[in-house]
Amino acid sequence: MSASIPPLPPQAPARTPQTGAPPVRTVFCQNCGGSVKINFVGRTVNVVCGSCGSILDAADPNVRVLQGAQDAIGKDTPVIPLGTRGKWRGQLYEAIGYQKRSITVEGQIYSWAEYVLFNPYRGYRYLTEYDGHWNDATPVTGLPELLGTRAVYLGRSHKHFQTATAVTRFVLGEFPWQVRVGDRAGVKDYVSPPYVLSQESVEGEITWTLGEYVLGSDVWRAFNLPGKAPAPVGVYLNQPSPSGASWKEVWLAFVMLVMAVGIVFFLDEALAGKDKVVDTTYRYTGPAASGDSSFVTPVFELKGRTSDVEIRTETDASNQWIFLNYALINNDTGQAYDLGREVSYYSGYDSDGSWSEGSKNDSALVPSVPSGRYYLRVEPEGDASLGPIRYTVIVSRDVPPWSLFLAAFGLLLVPPILMSWRTFSFERRRWAESDHPMVKTSSDDDD
Amino acid sequence: MMTKLYAIYGLAVLTTLTMGVYRGWSLTSVDEVKNVPQSVRDNPGSYRSAYSGYRHYTGGK
Repeated sequence: MSASIPPLPPQAPARTPQTGAPPVRTVFCQNCGGSVKINFVGRTVNVVCGSCGSILDAADPNVRVLQGAQDAIGKDTPVIPLGTRGKWRGQLYEAIGYQKRSITVEGQIYSWAEYVLFNPYRGYRYLTEYDGHWNDATPVTGLPELLGTRAVYLGRSHKHFQTATAVTRFVLGEFPWQVRVGDRAGVKDYVSPPYVLSQESVEGEITWTLGEYVLGSDVWRAFNLPGKAPAPVGVYLNQPSPSGASWKEVWLAFVMLVMAVGIVFFLDEALAGKDKVVDTTYRYTGPAASGDSSFVTPVFELKGRTSDVEIRTETDASNQWIFLNYALINNDTGQAYDLGREVSYYSGYDSDGSWSEGSKNDSALVPSVPSGRYYLRVEPEGDASLGPIRYTVIVSRDVPPWSLFLAAFGLLLVPPILMSWRTFSFERRRWAESDHPMVKTSSDDDD
Repeated sequence: MMTKLYAIYGLAVLTTLTMGVYRGWSLTSVDEVKNVPQSVRDNPGSYRSAYSGYRHYTGGK
């Protein structure tokens, strides 16, 4: 659909400032006899009878009827009543004209409303509304440059959105151009949210307008309209994305934060003590005669600040498993850290070739262990029928915690991904209504 | 706005990471047992590990 406004034909009055209030004139409709007020004599080209909807020639002393009564008169009511004044963009404007236009796409009719605002010193501007989405439009003063599917205006590139034919369905009030119900105009919309650049062509004459997406609540406030502005439905062609351009900045911030994480990682790698306090190899051949295979290491000292302790197990397991109950016990306080680790490794050949499963080595991290004198209780379990297993137990103090870095990376990654997904979904919904959908449907393919 | 919020969030993650690295935090947890008697050193079998009796996978492909 288009949020564009009708072209301003050559006979439209110039928008040069003039002093003093424009003269007002009351005429009588030649169709129904109703009185019609022309608020801006000399500027208004067409005026619509509010009683029967006939379009009258405001420039004609006899206000001849240009087009007969409209069926929709009294049924289609502008939400900004004509004659309403409001401060818009810092200037006082009056709503003087209202029209309903529509385009038809794949049999579906899309209609929108356009309001003509007038200030005798500022000229005309337009407000358009579609499903609660509002645009503030003004005619452009320069000629946009067309580059393929883009239109560049004032250095800003706008991407082609849709080409359609707009039909005027209903008019009311005063217009600074010739207007008729049934008027047709070729419309091309180019978007660069929050802007939409619209080209309209009527009988070879081309005009451009620039629309800017505005909030309905701002319109309501400006014109002191009763109630609340209806919530917008769907995504409009030039509606700014909720995440705006900030998703790019967030990715940039992500890169910088990951670099900071990298610095912390390298500093930790360089400064971590990694003090090896136990490095002993054992051999498991099966349960002891007493049924108890557990043993303890000599007492060792964990120095420095509270930090982690790595218990690493390296085995020569081959189609074997060994389970090790570890308990890191403080010799003085009796505080113990209990953990069980299974190490198993299997390999072989089958019709798919060689395979392997598991690992011969294992590593476990005991977090936040205060300094002190400790010993390690080890209780191995295994299947003696599979043969003996040699295993080496290595206890190290202050080891870089890889999992924390991975978790930090993941936590930093989630928001940019969510934001990018949100932006992509929003843009996909925006462009689904265009001539260039991001995801083509079967009906698009049929076209 | 979103960038600012993300920067604050990212700095919080970075601060937590740095503190975690310094204090030796880990994503894995272990069972903590208090007041293990001194006698365990001389009689390791008297200690009952929370993982004793764990059913082991004895698979392979």
